[in-house]
Amino acid sequence: MRSLLSFAVLVLATVVSAISTTGDRLLVVLDDAAEQAGYSKFLGDLKSRGFKLSFETPKSESLSLFHLGERAYDHVILFPSKLKGLGPKLTGQLLLQFLNADGNILVALGSDTAASTALVSLLTELDIHLPAERTGLVVDHFNYDSVSAPDKHDVLLLPPPGSHRPGVKDIFSAGAPSDQVIAFARGVGATLGAGELLTPLLRAPSTAYSYDPSTQAETVDDPFAAGEQLSLISTFQSRTSARFTLVGSAELLADKWFDTEVQKPGAAKAVKTFNREFAKRVAGWTFQEIGVLRVNWIEHHLNEVGGSNETNPKIYRIKNEVTYAISVSEYAWDAWTAFSVPPNDVFQLEFSMLSPFHRLTLQPDAAHSTPDAAAFTASFKLPDQHGIFNFKINYKRPFFTNVEEKNTVSVRHMAHDEWPRSFVISGAWPWIAGIGATVAGWLGFCALWMYSAPVSGKKTQ
Amino acid sequence: MSADLLQAVADVGKGKGTRSLLRVVILCLIAGAAIASRLFSVIRFESIIHEFDPWFNFRATKYLVANGFYNFWDWFDDRTWHPLGRVTGGTLYPGLMVTSGVIYHALRALNIPVDIRNICVLLAPAFSGLTAFASYLLTNEMTTTPSAGLLAAIFMGIAPGYISRSVAGSYDNEAIAIFLLVFTFYLWIKALKQGSMLWGAMCALFYGYMVASWGGYAFITCLLPLHSFVLICMGRYSTRLYVAYTTWYALGTLASMQIPFVGFLPVKTSEHMPALGIFGFLQLLGFLDYVRSAIPGRQFQTFLWLFAGGIFGVGLGGLVLATSLGFIAPWSGRFYSLWDTGYAKIHIPIIASVSEHQPTAWPAFFFDLNMLIWLFPAGVYLCFQQLADEHVFIVVYALFGSYFAGVMVRLMLTLTPVVCVAAAMAMSSLFDTYLVAKAPKPEDHVADEASEGAAKKAAKTGLKSTSRPVVGVYSYFAKGTIVSGLTLYLLLFVLHCTWVTSNAYSSPSVVLASKMPDGSQHIIDDYREAYQWLRQNTADDAKIMSWWDYGYQIGGMADRPTLVDNNTWNNTHIATVGKAMSSREEVSYPIMRQHEVDYVLVVFGGLLGYSGDDINKFLWMVRIAEGIWPDEVKERDFFTPRGEYRVDGEASEAMKNSLMYKMSYYNYNMLFPPGQAQDRVRGVRLPEVGPTLSTLDEAFTSENWIIRIFKVKDLDRFGRDHGQAMAFERGIKKKAPRKKGPRTLRVD
Amino acid sequence: MRWLPAFVSALVASTTGVLAVKKSTEERFASFHTKALASSAVKLSDASFRELTAAPRDYSVAVLLNALDSRYGCQMCREFQPEWDLLAKSWTKGDKKAESRLIFATLDFSDGRDVFMSFGLQTAPVVFYYPPTTGPHAAKSRDPIRYDFVNGFQSAEQMHAWIARNTPNRPSPPVQRPINYLKWIVTTTILLGGGTSAFVAWPYVLPVLQNRNVWAAVSLISILVFTSGQMFNHIRKVPYVGVDQRGGLTYFAAGFQNQFGMETQFVAAMYGVLAFSAMCLAIKVPRIADPKVQNVAVFAWAGILFFMYSFLLSIFRVKNAGYPFALPPFM
Repeated sequence: MRSLLSFAVLVLATVVSAISTTGDRLLVVLDDAAEQAGYSKFLGDLKSRGFKLSFETPKSESLSLFHLGERAYDHVILFPSKLKGLGPKLTGQLLLQFLNADGNILVALGSDTAASTALVSLLTELDIHLPAERTGLVVDHFNYDSVSAPDKHDVLLLPPPGSHRPGVKDIFSAGAPSDQVIAFARGVGATLGAGELLTPLLRAPSTAYSYDPSTQAETVDDPFAAGEQLSLISTFQSRTSARFTLVGSAELLADKWFDTEVQKPGAAKAVKTFNREFAKRVAGWTFQEIGVLRVNWIEHHLNEVGGSNETNPKIYRIKNEVTYAISVSEYAWDAWTAFSVPPNDVFQLEFSMLSPFHRLTLQPDAAHSTPDAAAFTASFKLPDQHGIFNFKINYKRPFFTNVEEKNTVSVRHMAHDEWPRSFVISGAWPWIAGIGATVAGWLGFCALWMYSAPVSGKKTQ
Repeated sequence: MSADLLQAVADVGKGKGTRSLLRVVILCLIAGAAIASRLFSVIRFESIIHEFDPWFNFRATKYLVANGFYNFWDWFDDRTWHPLGRVTGGTLYPGLMVTSGVIYHALRALNIPVDIRNICVLLAPAFSGLTAFASYLLTNEMTTTPSAGLLAAIFMGIAPGYISRSVAGSYDNEAIAIFLLVFTFYLWIKALKQGSMLWGAMCALFYGYMVASWGGYAFITCLLPLHSFVLICMGRYSTRLYVAYTTWYALGTLASMQIPFVGFLPVKTSEHMPALGIFGFLQLLGFLDYVRSAIPGRQFQTFLWLFAGGIFGVGLGGLVLATSLGFIAPWSGRFYSLWDTGYAKIHIPIIASVSEHQPTAWPAFFFDLNMLIWLFPAGVYLCFQQLADEHVFIVVYALFGSYFAGVMVRLMLTLTPVVCVAAAMAMSSLFDTYLVAKAPKPEDHVADEASEGAAKKAAKTGLKSTSRPVVGVYSYFAKGTIVSGLTLYLLLFVLHCTWVTSNAYSSPSVVLASKMPDGSQHIIDDYREAYQWLRQNTADDAKIMSWWDYGYQIGGMADRPTLVDNNTWNNTHIATVGKAMSSREEVSYPIMRQHEVDYVLVVFGGLLGYSGDDINKFLWMVRIAEGIWPDEVKERDFFTPRGEYRVDGEASEAMKNSLMYKMSYYNYNMLFPPGQAQDRVRGVRLPEVGPTLSTLDEAFTSENWIIRIFKVKDLDRFGRDHGQAMAFERGIKKKAPRKKGPRTLRVD
Repeated sequence: MRWLPAFVSALVASTTGVLAVKKSTEERFASFHTKALASSAVKLSDASFRELTAAPRDYSVAVLLNALDSRYGCQMCREFQPEWDLLAKSWTKGDKKAESRLIFATLDFSDGRDVFMSFGLQTAPVVFYYPPTTGPHAAKSRDPIRYDFVNGFQSAEQMHAWIARNTPNRPSPPVQRPINYLKWIVTTTILLGGGTSAFVAWPYVLPVLQNRNVWAAVSLISILVFTSGQMFNHIRKVPYVGVDQRGGLTYFAAGFQNQFGMETQFVAAMYGVLAFSAMCLAIKVPRIADPKVQNVAVFAWAGILFFMYSFLLSIFRVKNAGYPFALPPFM
């Protein structure tokens, strides 16, 4: 059965190859069609990856995220727009509804245009906060591009983000040469709430800060935010793994920064930006091409000699030996690959009723792994407590889709004939002996009684 | 002339054969009457299981029939007490289910395909016929007159006190237990009178069956030792008693220990200790008796008897000591609350909350027993006439039965048999006196007047009233009056029983009947409507949270897992539900998530004026929750400062914010013009704006709003709390955090 | 809003406290604690109450607001007062060094009307626990915690549990009930005396014990008592007679599920009469040798029986409206 499953998986994988796991209908929203020339390379990359792009302007009649209550598109890119509100077709509620229907949204902002109110209300719901005046400018007087912004310092040059924290897979800058830099030009920074669904993808360097050029032209008394708190690219992943990305600077996706030379102040020579690859990976992540996990199959069975080898039984007995196995794949651009747990992270199984009775680390199980699916397994003894238990997988990591699996089984008590027999228990021997003695004694007594007939009185004669 | 006529009539019954034939016919008719009078509910409504517990028994029976005995024996029920589950096989009295299972298979074997439901519905009436027969036998052991038994049988057959628990459809343990109770007593008397081991063994056998059927077996376990003890105290120790009791105790205890639910209780708990103690004491007496017969000598014997008394005292003291040291479990709560009547109210709110554990007011006695209640003392007095062992039994039973019945309404059931027997004895003695054709000749007895003195002496120990010899009644007119009077009472009794049965005890509380203005009957079927909805519209393993009263019904009718049910074995779990119901949504939601609750079911009578709804039971939920979390749930908070329990605008904050209140009155005011919302149970006007729910969605509300079902929302997908989410849906923009104070920095 | 009065009183308290006696919380505690050591629970008046509960305080106060005076006819007050004193005594004695920094006090209504007013108290007794506002055990809210006796009389132990719950991680000395020597002596003497008298009087007692009539009477009476709902009275503590709207006495409670003390006795009597007449008809009458007397007896008893039964039915109709059956003369 397992082999059959993995075969089905293979078929599936081939079918959906080379595009996102959640579909290929991509809507690009621009103020007017002319702008798309500026992002031709970025959009071209998307097209080449098999996305079917359709372009709309916020005001257009034909634009609608939903058709007959179903998503009309799988992904949306919103480029910066001059409009104050994005019109009736793109209200905050609609966008949230789109996310709620497991669509993915990538939003690009720019410091020259204020974010539209619809966007701001959406962002607030997601606990992402822009400056009060809906725009701002991030500057850094230490890491700026001395070529293009020698005096304004509003083109930041940042190293690739690297791993978000120990134990989280680095999927955005893996394999990038260390001297690569990302050019973040004239961008807006956001601050994030404390929610675990939010993750800052690209943080500002500790020397950067954000201010409002229009009002705070000469003196910046109270900057909106500064340093690491300032998130230049913010990601949000809903509980159902719908993805939302806020790119602070639309220019990061623009052609003109894809292959220009930039130079840090004091750097020996100008280097080519990492933007193109980075933009591709950000879009790829947002549109579920990378960092997507899938559970292929889960199975648990009795692990006792002489026990039934039924797969996924509904009921176990207390203190049974049980084996649990799960197979997980990770999607990488165009194919499912075996999922490998990042270094110094663990993939855990809970066996819980109300609260976990066991929390075990799942071990990779080479026997059942295939090139495109890694199997993990754990064997343990059920607790001495009957009830309705859950095998629970609750693996939620930044930039990975949430893996939340629950398999319910009942754990029953000992049946009346599953206890050891009395003569096996040494403690019971005295009582068994007692019974024997009583029986024997009674029989003996009866015999005595019967055979000791009263002597017929001969002497009396 | 009339004498001759009566004579002629009497002659018909002279022949032994005719008599016994008549007897059989009469008994059959009685059984028929007993069964027929229990069929009101089936005729009025339909063949349906009643009330609460029967639904569990029915479900268990279906499981037994479907999966066979051994699976039933080891049944682990994972659809109740979620997520704990219940070891059902080991925590129930299997007698009832097994009985109907056997009947079912027997009928199958005879190629009579009967639906198991109908067997369950009709089991109680069928057994009531047997009960009538058993009480006939028991009464015949008491008196020599043949009529007493038949009277007892008909009394037992139609006395409302017994009908209340045995109408068709009330498929509860009592249905068969009462028959077993009476029959066990009959066998005990038989064994005692004949001192026969065979009858003793039979008694033990049926005692075992009784233990397998009903928790009330403890009544027998306490009554038989008591009877024996009284006999001993009266100096009536005899080998008959020895044989009967010893046989019964040894075999009966073994039999009772075969039931998993009972297990080792008979040697561990206090309510079984009297039986054990008397057993030991009887051995001692037997020994002493032997010694006495062997060794002559007055002083020695007196010494022996003192010795026996001493041993008894010591044994009693030892028992008390062992209990206080904890070797023997003290009286379990339910039993203990029978003695210390204030105990349950303080310590075990769950027990106190059950309506049938309330004390009995006198109208209930009259309602259930009508004229028997005043014939009863007369019958007991008759027992004192010739006070044989079996009469002592009746007296003892009468005393204790009436005490228990006074303390707990449901124990009226155990009183009814003895009332019927005693009343029958009184009635029959009346008939025997006044229904005889031959009248005494006055002159015969003038002579006796002289010899009375002698008679007095003879009946010294007897009752004063029976000191003089029986003469008989002279005038036919007197006889006629009395007999007609008695007949009138009997007819009245029959009318009463029928009336009570049809009006009070024949409604299956699952289906409610109400009278329309034009007098026609209107059936209110909300319960089944709602349970059917659950069955058809929810996932097979959707967990339903409700107050425990409805657990069995949900399990039986809707076939969905429940958190708590009427088998209230886990106070903490019930208290958890109570807490969820009586706390604010913010507190309840995590509890419901943790217990994987999918739907919450509440019963609301406000629209119909159905008083048995959850708001009226609410205080019990609060109390039970307070018992476990005295700091989080406080009964006081649910009263207004002036100490009233209100649900209208004046209601206390805790009340208004409690989940139960919100669920009950959610959207209720939509039914009325603004400000007119009326609660017809509490009889109050509700506030203008109804409560709002953010963590629950209204899923279903039955026709008359009696049952309301709410779905527990999933966590918000965007990590907001439900209040916010709803606000956003309504288009209210969330405020960006003000820049006041220190910024909340993100650390990761 | 329930705490509003509490706030008021707290404010008042603080001001008066300041005006009246400029004592530091330390001194106040010391003085009151010495008082507590002297007596069991400190008797308070309006002023001393305000002083004691004035904020800031680094100690906690448990004060019982009581109404002992018989005029208020507060049964529970009188029952609870000794328990409270006992608790206070054993607690204060329990930690002489006052590590729990808890002072037990009592304020009777007659001495502290104003306080009662300021709390807007409708009922007594009520226990207030004032947490410390400063110091190591300081509580977040300075409002007192209120304990109403919703479920009836509380023993010293139960009250102790409640206070101990409110004073965590502090010593809470257990309640020590004094041994009641008198009780012991009395019981022993009674036992001994009873034993001896029994031994002496045995020959005279024995016939009584063995007399069937006695036993018959005893058992019949107890049966009547039980079947007429005496246990219900005992458990539910029902009044002996009721009072109707117009202030007149009613002997029969309306409704199926309740009853009065007198009512049950009356019913028991009726059952008794009915049973007795039945017994007479069954046993006595046929033993009367004289035909005339017998006739009279028969009709007399039959009449009583009939009369009583119809009366019983009529009373039952009072309890259970809509009961259709009746016998003349009480239709």
